[in-house]
Amino acid sequence: MPGGKGSALPELDGQQPVLDVKDLKTYFPTEAGIVRAVNGVSFVVREGETLAIVGESGSGKSVTGLTIMRLLGRSGAEIAGGEIWLTRSDGGRVDLAQLPEAAMERLRGSEIAMIFQDPMSSLNPVFPVGDQIAEPLRLHKGLSRRAARAAAIELLDLVGISDPARRVDTFPHQLSGGMRQRIMIAIALACEPRLLIADEPTTALDVTVQAQIVALLRELQIHRRMAMIFVTHDLHLVGDVADRVAVMYASQVVEEGRVADVLSQPAHPYTRALLSCIPRHQQGHARRRMTPIPGTMPSALTAPSGCRFHPRCASAEDRCVAGIPSLESIAPERTTRCVRWREIWP
Amino acid sequence: MEAATPLLAVRGITRHFAGKGPPVRAVEDVSFDIQRGEVLGVVGESGCGKSTLGRLALRLIEPTAGTVAFDGTELTALAPPSLRRFRRHMQMVFQDPFASLNPRMTVGDALIEAVRFHDRLGKIEARDRAVALLTQVGLSAEHFDRYPRAFSGGQRQRIAIARALAPAPRFLVADEAVSALDVSIQAEVVNLLKSLQEEFGLALMFISHDLSVIEVISDRAMVLYLGRVMEIAPIDDLYSRPAHPYTVALLQAAPGGGKRGGDRLMLKGEIPSPSAPPSGCVFRTRCPFAIADCARDVPPLKAVRPGHLKACIRDDLTI
Repeated sequence: MPGGKGSALPELDGQQPVLDVKDLKTYFPTEAGIVRAVNGVSFVVREGETLAIVGESGSGKSVTGLTIMRLLGRSGAEIAGGEIWLTRSDGGRVDLAQLPEAAMERLRGSEIAMIFQDPMSSLNPVFPVGDQIAEPLRLHKGLSRRAARAAAIELLDLVGISDPARRVDTFPHQLSGGMRQRIMIAIALACEPRLLIADEPTTALDVTVQAQIVALLRELQIHRRMAMIFVTHDLHLVGDVADRVAVMYASQVVEEGRVADVLSQPAHPYTRALLSCIPRHQQGHARRRMTPIPGTMPSALTAPSGCRFHPRCASAEDRCVAGIPSLESIAPERTTRCVRWREIWP
Repeated sequence: MEAATPLLAVRGITRHFAGKGPPVRAVEDVSFDIQRGEVLGVVGESGCGKSTLGRLALRLIEPTAGTVAFDGTELTALAPPSLRRFRRHMQMVFQDPFASLNPRMTVGDALIEAVRFHDRLGKIEARDRAVALLTQVGLSAEHFDRYPRAFSGGQRQRIAIARALAPAPRFLVADEAVSALDVSIQAEVVNLLKSLQEEFGLALMFISHDLSVIEVISDRAMVLYLGRVMEIAPIDDLYSRPAHPYTVALLQAAPGGGKRGGDRLMLKGEIPSPSAPPSGCVFRTRCPFAIADCARDVPPLKAVRPGHLKACIRDDLTI
C-alpha cells in the first residue's frame, strides 16, 4: 500500500483486528529540537496472534509500545499524529490516541496490559505478590477480597509457580528474576486482556529461564486467543515467539511479514544486515566471522534524507537519497521500505 | 602443545565470599590451561562464577584455595611489587565502557596514562604510542583530544581495548565485553578483538553468557554452572557434539536454536543459590537425566574424546 499510510494488512476474514495502528507519530520536544521517536508507524495485530517488533536501541520500538499504552508519562512526549484503534471485547472500537486519560485508565489492565524488562521495578516491594495480582481484579472486575485472592492463587498456578497457596503471600524480593517475571505475567493476564504488550520481557533473564518464559507467554497467548506485541532487540528470539514481525529502524517500520518469510528471505537490507550480525549455529561447521553494519544508527534528531538506512547500506544508490521510500506491499502479508526490493528479494 | 608450559595454568582454583550465613561458593575447584595465542571462551548463566574466575585468573582477587601460574610463574605466590611488574602481561576489558573510562579525561590522556604506567616514556614517545593504539583499534588521531562522552558505546569499547593493549600484554580477559552493545556493534568489537588477538598472538579468556558470540571467537570453550566446570571442549566439538546435559540445554535454549516448543530440552526451575549448592553434581536439581547416584559425589571431569571433558556420570546418554 503506497504512501506508508494505513496497514498493508486489511481485516482478514472480515474480522476487525484487535489493534490497528495507523501512521503513528510520537515526538519528544528537547532543547536540541524535536525528537521524532516514532515516525509514521502502522501495523495491525489480530486476535490470537503475536506480532514481534524488532529493532536496536533507539529504533523507537519501546516508545511504540508505550504510546499504545499511553504511558509516555512525564517524558514530555506527545502523540503528534496517527490513530490507535483498539477493538474492545464488547466489539466496540476506540481510538486510544484520542481517548481521555480517565477512559484510558479503565482500559489499562483490563483490555490491554503490558509487561516490562525489569519486573523488580514494576512490582511494589512492600506488598505481597498476591495483593498485586488481586488489585486489577478488584479494580476492574469488582471482585471481593476473598474471591480476588482465590483468583490470584489460580493465576500463580497458571504461570507455573509451584505451591501457589503459599507463594501468594511472598514479597517480590523473596523471588528470583524468572519468578518475578511470572508474577508480572499473572498481573497482566488477571483481567484477561485482549492485547498484551511485552517489552523485552526476557532480556534481563538467563537463557534457560528466558526459554521458559517465552514458552509460557506463547502458550498463554495461543490458549487465550490473546493478541500480543512482543518488543525485542533479538531477531532470533522472534522465531520462537511470534507469528509476524515488524522490523524498526530509526523510528520507522522498514519491513514486515510472517516470521518464517522475513527470517529466511529478508526483503530489506537492514534486516539482512541484522541477521548476518548474529552468527547462527549451523550443525557441523562454525561460522568464524560476524558481519557488522558499518556506521551507527542516526539519532532521531538528525535523520538522513531519503532512506534512513542508506548511509549504512551496501546496496544504496542515488535514488535511495532522493525521498523516503514508502512501505510497499511486495507479497501477501509482506511489506518493505526499500526502493531496490525487486533486485534484492527474494 | 602438550610439551610446552601453558601460558596460563589454573589448578583447583576456589573462591568463597563470606557473608551472613554460609559462604557464597562462587568458584569451586576449577582447573584449566590457556595456551599462547589461544582463545578460551567461558560461558554460563548469572551466578555461575565466570566473572569471579576471570578476576582470579589475573589475581585481581585472592583465591580461597588453588593456584594460578602465568608462563610458569606462580602468581598466587608473588609479592605485590613483582605482581605489579607481571600485570603488564595480563589485562582486562570490562562489560561497561561507560563506567570504565574517566569522563573527565580525554581519550588521549587516558591512553598516555596507561602507556606511562608500565613504561618510562617521554611525552612525545608516549603520545605517539597512544596514537598508534587508537589506530590499532580502528580510531584515529583526530579522536585523541575528545572526551568519552563524545563516543558511541562501540567506540568506547574500542578505547577500553586500546587501553588494555597499552602495555603490550600477552593475555587478555574480556568479561562480557560486548554484552552491553547492540548486535550491529557487537560484531564490530568481536571482529576487532579477534583480529588483534591473531595479529599479536594474544591469549584471550573471553567470558560471555552469549553462546553465539563464544562460538565465533573461541578455539575452546568451558561451560560453568554454579562455580563448577560442566564441560570443556574444542569449539566445534562443544557445539556439534555437546556431552553434558547442561550444555545441551543451554544450546537449545538459545533463541533460534533450531528447536521449538516440545522438542527442546527445557530445564525446570532456576539456578540454586551458590551459598547452598546441591550435593554431588550441582546441576542435578535441574537435570532431566539425574539419577540417585548424581547426589552422592561431585562428578570428576572425564575425557569423552581427546581434549573434550565433561563432568557427568551418565555415560549412557545420547542427547
